[in-house]
Amino acid sequence: MKVDIKGFTKPLIESLIAVIIGILIGAIILAFSGYNPVEAYSALFDGALGSKYGWAMTLSAATPIMLTALTFGLGAKTGLFNIGGEGTVYFGAIAALILTNIWGNILMGLLGGIIAGIAWMAIPAFLKVFRGVNEVVSTIMLNWVAYFLALYIIIQKIPNPEDPNKTIAIPLSARFPIIIKGTELSWAFAISVIAALVAYYTLWHTTLGYELRVSGYNERAARYAGINPKKAVIWSFILGGIMSGLAGAIEMMGRPPSYAISQGMANIYGYGFDGIGVSLVGRNHPLGIIFSGIFFGMLKAGATAMQIEAGVPLEMVRVVQGIIVVTVAIPGLLDLLKRVVRK
Amino acid sequence: MEEAPIIEMKGIIKIYPDGTKALKGVDFSVKQGEIHGLLGENGAGKTTLMKILSGMLHPTDGKIFVNNNEVRFKTPADALANGIGMVHQHFTLVDVFDGLHNIILGMEGHGLFSKIDVEKAMGKLQKLMDDLNFQVPLDVPVETLPVGVQQRIEILKTLYRDVDVLILDEPTAVLTPIEVKELFDVLKKLKSQGKTIIFISHKLKEVMEITDRVTVLRKGELIGTVNTNETSPKELAKMMVGREVVLRIEKPPKEAETPVLQVQDLWVKGDRSQDAVKGLTFEVKAGEIFGIAGVEGNGQTELIEAISGLRKIEKGKVILNGKNITGRPPKELYDLGVAHIPEDRIHMGLVAEMSVTENSILGLHWRETFRGPIGMLRWNKAKEHAAKIVKDFEVLVPSIEAPVKSLSGGNQQKLIVAREVSKQPEFIIASQPTRGVDVASTEYIRNYLIKLRNENKAVLLVSADLDEVLQLSDRMAIMYEGKFVGIVKPEEVTEEQIGLMMGGIKHES
Repeated sequence: MKVDIKGFTKPLIESLIAVIIGILIGAIILAFSGYNPVEAYSALFDGALGSKYGWAMTLSAATPIMLTALTFGLGAKTGLFNIGGEGTVYFGAIAALILTNIWGNILMGLLGGIIAGIAWMAIPAFLKVFRGVNEVVSTIMLNWVAYFLALYIIIQKIPNPEDPNKTIAIPLSARFPIIIKGTELSWAFAISVIAALVAYYTLWHTTLGYELRVSGYNERAARYAGINPKKAVIWSFILGGIMSGLAGAIEMMGRPPSYAISQGMANIYGYGFDGIGVSLVGRNHPLGIIFSGIFFGMLKAGATAMQIEAGVPLEMVRVVQGIIVVTVAIPGLLDLLKRVVRK
Repeated sequence: MEEAPIIEMKGIIKIYPDGTKALKGVDFSVKQGEIHGLLGENGAGKTTLMKILSGMLHPTDGKIFVNNNEVRFKTPADALANGIGMVHQHFTLVDVFDGLHNIILGMEGHGLFSKIDVEKAMGKLQKLMDDLNFQVPLDVPVETLPVGVQQRIEILKTLYRDVDVLILDEPTAVLTPIEVKELFDVLKKLKSQGKTIIFISHKLKEVMEITDRVTVLRKGELIGTVNTNETSPKELAKMMVGREVVLRIEKPPKEAETPVLQVQDLWVKGDRSQDAVKGLTFEVKAGEIFGIAGVEGNGQTELIEAISGLRKIEKGKVILNGKNITGRPPKELYDLGVAHIPEDRIHMGLVAEMSVTENSILGLHWRETFRGPIGMLRWNKAKEHAAKIVKDFEVLVPSIEAPVKSLSGGNQQKLIVAREVSKQPEFIIASQPTRGVDVASTEYIRNYLIKLRNENKAVLLVSADLDEVLQLSDRMAIMYEGKFVGIVKPEEVTEEQIGLMMGGIKHES
């Protein structure tokens, strides 16, 4: 598989600049809020990358958000603004819990995540194809439906009889083996990387991917070329559903210590939204998403260290993340800067 | 007597942000009260130069003088204040506003509650129209008016702002021959009132007819300015393209009998669900080019989309080689030997952001050649294919990996033609195949269509360029308001008769 290096250089540099700008603005905000930015950032980077344990935490934090990013990224590359990853994660997690408790192996858990993801994404897909409902509206609203429906299932249908704050857990036989003992990093991470590679391969090396990209760029050209744009939309939702469904499933099966959904869905909430940021920083490209996923994982993993060692609250890390997303999402800003510099 | 120029542009250079050098140091001057033609091929820099003069674009370098005073326009308003106004090729009207409100738009007073003095405006406009000896309805939404009338509203809009210099960008592109004549009458009137007119065009005949002097640009450079009565179309053509190109189309006579495409009582609706095609019946035979002429917007687009499977057919039949293909999707038609060169190359025929290779397989990507196991796309085969068609058709590309948006219009069009022909079709739909294409590519594409015809393929040609239809067609139809006014042989009618038919007047002979 030949990768076009030249095509990657420019977006890579732009993303790196955005990351640096984000970190600098974050530093200013930290300083104004009365924290020492140097101390805070060194705590963050040291915590996330300074040790084997840090790296393990970084990669395990990256695992689910790479997949949710693929949902958004695949959508973006094929002409959809799919932000339904969030809700899909819940059902992927629930399906994995139920199926592994019946059959007790990893494969069934993964399959459950995939099927649940496709099923949930089928709703906005059909709404769009047959009723013309814009996917931005439907997926936002369905995220809320998903949230309360998932809460209902968690509390009413699959509570842990010994600990009512949690759901039933993944049986031991269906848990991903841990890569580094004493950390949260399991082989689930490999699933995310493989998923990104498969997404890349599908988009750029299959006829289906070609048709999806053509429809994404230009629906009229797609129709002209004998491609059915409706079919393309459905496929895009299916692939997106698989990714976020898997995210929920492997978060259950591969992330110690809980292996269950905790109270208020605290351990699975927000991945879909994180994924949008990860995807944007990765330029919606599956291979870019691997790296931006790890970067976001690092921010997440380092946040704890920043909190403990520099006394910076977790919320500040979120602010920095937000700023990075914004700086990347406005390529126009970069163009503007270029023009100013030239003058 | 040598008059001082009213406008002088010196050493104008324009480099676009993407590095394109649109103008490479052009001098241009216009005398008071003349009609000055600005001639050049697509991409010569005519429009760019005039957009600079009208304040829409800023020159990278160079100076502009109006009445010997150096000026620097930041916005079109600055140019208007200096008496320079431009009528653009693509009108800048608010479709749902009536003529009056389009004209006074931006001049209605800027206070939050300031009243629009409709009566005063109407009075001024009425006087303008009386002076020019024409009338346009100012109280109906402009979208309901014919293009020729919309253009007059554009002209009025500019005159209303008291301009002395009126720039018209390809004003005849969308007009019928009769409307062109009327426009020229208006221009002559304006000239007699002492207005100065800059007339951008690439049509030699019109430039010869209406202008006093002509400036020719080629690839961003000034080739020269000549007095119209001292030059000839041949000389201008030579200046324009840099070599003596008369479009030489050789078309040997040919008998055509077997019908390939048969269309029977076809009805198709337009985007606003009006009837756009109203009961058309015709056939295209193997070994002929069947041309459809007519002013754009008379149902040609809808007709082509219906035949090529892109638009719903309300009623009627389309038959290809004896097989009913009515309402079949494009993919099926391609497999049956249809190829389609669409009118809108950048929004339909190509995916601008994708590479030459990716575009070279658009619409044939499902063929066995490009398919590998498990749905794989064989890029090595696609690249071979791209390299071959690029070579065969002399398409100029930086590389086959370059996005097609980096190609010039002519080369984009050649790529489409190359791709469609590579499908080895029996029936080719060519819609506006040379619009916005440079002379050399135009010649190439036209000759290729003839070649296909000589190889006994059936060609359906739709073009707003009358000369093209006349030159290429074995038989031609003139379309007006969804119907054919007549089907004629090009050699048996005069241009004037066709002009009348394009205006909906039936040819009697």
